[in-house]
Amino acid sequence: MADFAPRQNEPLIHFLWKEKGANMKENVASTVVFILLLFLNTNLLNGQSPPGKPEIFKCRSPEKETFTCWWKPGADGGLPTSYTLTYHKEGETFTHECPDYKTGGPNSCYFNKKHTSIWTIYIITVNATNQMGSSSSDPRYVDVTYIVEPDPPVNLTLELKQPEDRKPYLWIKWFPPTLVDVRSGWLTLQYEIRLKPEKAAEWETHFAGQQTQFKILSLYPGQKYLVQVHCKPDHGFWSEWSPESSIPIPNDFSMTDATVWIFVAVLSAVICLIMVWAVALKGYSMVTCILPPVPGPKIKGFDTHLLEKGKSEELLSALGCQDFPPTSDCEDLLVEFLEVDDSGDQPLMPAHSKEHPGQGVKPTHSDPDSDSGRGSCDSPSLLSEKCDEPRANPSKFHTPEGLEKAEKPETNVTQPQGPQGTSVEGKIPSFHVSGSQSSTWPLLQPPGLHYSRSSYHSVAVVCKLGLGTAGAAPTLLDKTDTRALKPSQTIETGGEGKAAEHGESESFRSKTDQDAARLLPQDKTPLTSAKPLEYVEIHKVSKDGALALLPKQNENSGRAEKTSTPETSKEYSKVSRVMDSNILVLVQDRRAQNLAPFEEPAKEAPPSLPQNPAAVDLASFPAAPSNCRLQLGALDYLHPTGFMHPFQ
Amino acid sequence: MDNKGSSQKAGSLLLLLLLVSNLLLCKSVASLPICPSGAVNCQVSLRDLFDRAVILSHYIHNLSSEMFNEFDKRYAQGRGFITKAINSCHTSSLSTPEDKEQAQQVHHEVLLSMILGVLRSWNDPLYHLVTEVRGMQEAPDAILSRAIEIEEQNKRLLEGMEKIVGQVHPGVKENEVYSVWSGLPSLQMADEDTRLFAFYNLLHCLRRDSHKIDSYLKLLKCRIIYDSNC
Repeated sequence: MADFAPRQNEPLIHFLWKEKGANMKENVASTVVFILLLFLNTNLLNGQSPPGKPEIFKCRSPEKETFTCWWKPGADGGLPTSYTLTYHKEGETFTHECPDYKTGGPNSCYFNKKHTSIWTIYIITVNATNQMGSSSSDPRYVDVTYIVEPDPPVNLTLELKQPEDRKPYLWIKWFPPTLVDVRSGWLTLQYEIRLKPEKAAEWETHFAGQQTQFKILSLYPGQKYLVQVHCKPDHGFWSEWSPESSIPIPNDFSMTDATVWIFVAVLSAVICLIMVWAVALKGYSMVTCILPPVPGPKIKGFDTHLLEKGKSEELLSALGCQDFPPTSDCEDLLVEFLEVDDSGDQPLMPAHSKEHPGQGVKPTHSDPDSDSGRGSCDSPSLLSEKCDEPRANPSKFHTPEGLEKAEKPETNVTQPQGPQGTSVEGKIPSFHVSGSQSSTWPLLQPPGLHYSRSSYHSVAVVCKLGLGTAGAAPTLLDKTDTRALKPSQTIETGGEGKAAEHGESESFRSKTDQDAARLLPQDKTPLTSAKPLEYVEIHKVSKDGALALLPKQNENSGRAEKTSTPETSKEYSKVSRVMDSNILVLVQDRRAQNLAPFEEPAKEAPPSLPQNPAAVDLASFPAAPSNCRLQLGALDYLHPTGFMHPFQ
Repeated sequence: MDNKGSSQKAGSLLLLLLLVSNLLLCKSVASLPICPSGAVNCQVSLRDLFDRAVILSHYIHNLSSEMFNEFDKRYAQGRGFITKAINSCHTSSLSTPEDKEQAQQVHHEVLLSMILGVLRSWNDPLYHLVTEVRGMQEAPDAILSRAIEIEEQNKRLLEGMEKIVGQVHPGVKENEVYSVWSGLPSLQMADEDTRLFAFYNLLHCLRRDSHKIDSYLKLLKCRIIYDSNC
């Protein structure tokens, strides 16, 4: 029965059996894998693993005879791990194990003298082993020669010494570390100490060389000091600092004398430096504080601008030469004679020649004025004619040295003026022109001065004297003194001096101190100082030949000023005589004596009889706004008004 | 008789040599006033010789150490040269004491001759070191200047040592033993790695040997001059 059946089932059974076999194999494999994984999982769950890699982190020799190495274990894998250190030396193949695990502490290896070779490389490895496995560190190459780091010095002692005849000090002593052999010279140690007061923040370090003691001299009394020392071998590393030693410094521990003296010296040096610096910076102002500068003369009515512009005649008239020196007698100021040079070639004031050296007599327009001294003394109209004529011939004329500044404003002839401005303006060209003729200058006799042919100098001096209160006049007229033309100083100082006395000085100044000042330089008078030349009108000629001159009338009524101070003007408005047919001698008009030259208005000082022959104080003439310059050289006659301040 | 005459001659020659070298040393040694001014016979005491020698050896080692560190920092980082520079110094053939006890057991004359041997062994390598460092690309001045200085100071130290030997045990005919250096081809290799390792090795050995000489000299100085009581 099963005969005919089984033939059909055999392949099936085969097939089934084969399948089952395969399955079984797979099952076995998977089971094994499963079991293994289980095993591993179990282990992992327990935290056990081979140890991590240790690391040798330090090797050190304290005396170049032994050394110790320390390592850092890695993860221990949860199992007890043992470490071994193995090494082999350079030139050897044999591997040794650490001779001493204890002496150096945990995880260390101590090589004693027997096992230590200098100038040899050790290749050291640490192995960590546990149940699970082991791991090795990286090999470390160690040469004892270069890992020497000694212990700190020992027995640090501090002692305060206060010997009798010397300064007190702190004596610090110590000993080298015990292990180091210094006596045989195997190691040479160098020391360093440091100390600080207990409460200080920073240490004070001192290098002590190879000596085992040190002296400290500078200490603060009354404090407790802490001291430490460490050492270094000749080719190695510094040791750790020794433990602190402390010592209290008693309060009577004196500072050295040197300190006190140094302190005193430094302080005085600082003070000296400060004083020197202060003097250097403020020296000038200090000196001026202590010795105030002598104020220049300030004359009322004196316009500094006139000086700037070189309008000397106006300035001079404003100042008024007459009053200076105050003590001088009027008579002293009489001009003995007035030199009028016929040649027309010589500069009128040889003494001034150097101021305008190249500007001797300019003969161009001498002709019109050459006879001015002769014929016009009795004719005011002639005067004015004469004054007008040169107007047509503007030319260069000398400028006194100081008036050179005025050359610039020379072009600004038409500056707006005050009341008398127009008249003054009109006269300016003539002034210029006439000025070109020669370096005329009112000849003034200084009191007591010798009156000589070259009298312009003296005239200038007189005017100088007459001008100034404080010397502005002298400075103005001083041929060599260009300071006179510094308007700021002289005019004002002169002006102040006179100002108080003369009303017209105020009026003088009022208007146009500035204007006149501008005019003055434009005039370019040959006056060596800023004394303006003004023309005066010849009032009359007396019998004895005295020429009485009046200040030229101004259209404007600036005359008001003139009336005020007749008494102080020194006007040489009177011709006393004519000498040599070409020298006109003018004398002072007593009546208008006290007026300051510049301050004297044109009309106020009527020409008076000459009280004393004096050089014509051109500046003292009433300030007729005439701009006809008085030419004293080349037979020019004197136009006193020319010297008047054209302020009116 | 012959021996006497020859030894006398040798002695007088040695004395003459000593005098001449004293005079030369008076000029060459810069800072220490070895010959007091005005002295007719310029006698240099042993103490001064040792002091001078110790100063020189200390200085040479400092220079070598700095030179090695400079080279290591600049050229040898990450190349693992140290692993190869094992037992590769040419002076290892000279048997020298390896620790303090051994050094203290060696007689000072022997120790002196050892020092001399090491010093002489370095004459040639130092000369070539200077030449080859100059030829290096971007020759570092720190290394070159030190190499030049070490070469010169080594010569001076050699002279001083010879004088010391002449004073410590004069008359002994010295057996000049020194190691021959054969590392020049390596220094001149085209391959940069090989050449750099050759330099590294040379500087490494120089550092070690200069330290050795310095230690021996200090030992000798304390022993001879201060009677082991430095």
